Amino acid sequence: MKCSKCDNPKVIIKREQSGQLLCKECFIESIEKKVIKTVRKEKLLDKGDKVLVALSGGKDSVTTLEIINSFREMNIIDLCAVTVDEGIANYRQDGVDIAMRHAERLGIEHKVVSLKDEYGITLDEIMQKENHKGSCTYCGVFRRTIINKAAREMGATKIATGHNLDDEVQGIMMNYLEGNTDNLTKLGAKTESKAEEFTVKIKPLREIPEREIGVYVVAKNLEVHFDSCPYAMQSFRGEVSEVINQLAEKHPTIKYSTLRGYDKIKGVLKKEFQKDYSHGRCEKCGEPSANRLCKACSFLEELGCD
Amino acid sequence: MTFTLKYKDINEEREIPGEDFTIKDLLDDLELSAQTMVSKQNGELVIEDTVINDGDEIQLVQIIYGG
Repeated sequence: MKCSKCDNPKVIIKREQSGQLLCKECFIESIEKKVIKTVRKEKLLDKGDKVLVALSGGKDSVTTLEIINSFREMNIIDLCAVTVDEGIANYRQDGVDIAMRHAERLGIEHKVVSLKDEYGITLDEIMQKENHKGSCTYCGVFRRTIINKAAREMGATKIATGHNLDDEVQGIMMNYLEGNTDNLTKLGAKTESKAEEFTVKIKPLREIPEREIGVYVVAKNLEVHFDSCPYAMQSFRGEVSEVINQLAEKHPTIKYSTLRGYDKIKGVLKKEFQKDYSHGRCEKCGEPSANRLCKACSFLEELGCD
Repeated sequence: MTFTLKYKDINEEREIPGEDFTIKDLLDDLELSAQTMVSKQNGELVIEDTVINDGDEIQLVQIIYGG
């Protein structure tokens, strides 16, 4: 068995989707080239951008930081990072520490924002409330709000997230299955909003399978937080992911074909279904909101955290 | 013929049950999915088709967590 590119007998991965065998050096190079190709093809970066990486310390965000940093080294962009501390005991601190070490290693501006400081409550405390709606509901909304705010405060022109191929395909299939045409218009490599307070979001890893990101960080010896969130539970996303992975065993190219198919119809979807939200302001915090209160403030009100 | 298995808190010597016993066979025995793991043989990343030899140190790292 030899590397399909350089004949090195030390193969570290067999790509089921192509049958390709790769040694460590050729695999690392192929991942980095593929991400850079996505950035160029989708025009994710412009010269002079200041990119904020949403850095949890997990494999996806650390890989995003590592590869996007190559554009910084070429003086094309400036780079900074934000880490959200949701306040989950015995889980989040390791990721926060790892994120801090990466930011320090690269010498970039880094901010850690906790839910406690921002909203006066931790996710653990929210989960103690009898009327809570499930951890992921709050975590998603509060995290998005904090990252958006940090982008404005740090003067970032783009927010880079670690969404990988599996995440993106799960999103596409979930929204198809739920008939959620509104959400289907919002997926893709680059998400722009009409409200200028929302910074453009980019997904440089959207063509990299999740497993390959795991192999990449181990191959490159990058320090990452490998652990399961204690609030992780069986979600619809989890069920959809299981079905897709089962299908992929017999049909190894199915994730890519789902992504390509979606990319082909995205333009039509946007034209037909994209809603033009009226952009008002949240009465409490002033963030953009279609309703009287933004999602974050209405959750805080329900939780009695005024 | 034995090998050392390292996985999370496990660090133990195990018998090699037969000829051509691969990492994939080990993952199956441990009921772990190859899709969520990477494997190292004597510190070097390897693919799951790799045969485990006498005296090997096999380290398994879980890279994908559900949720």
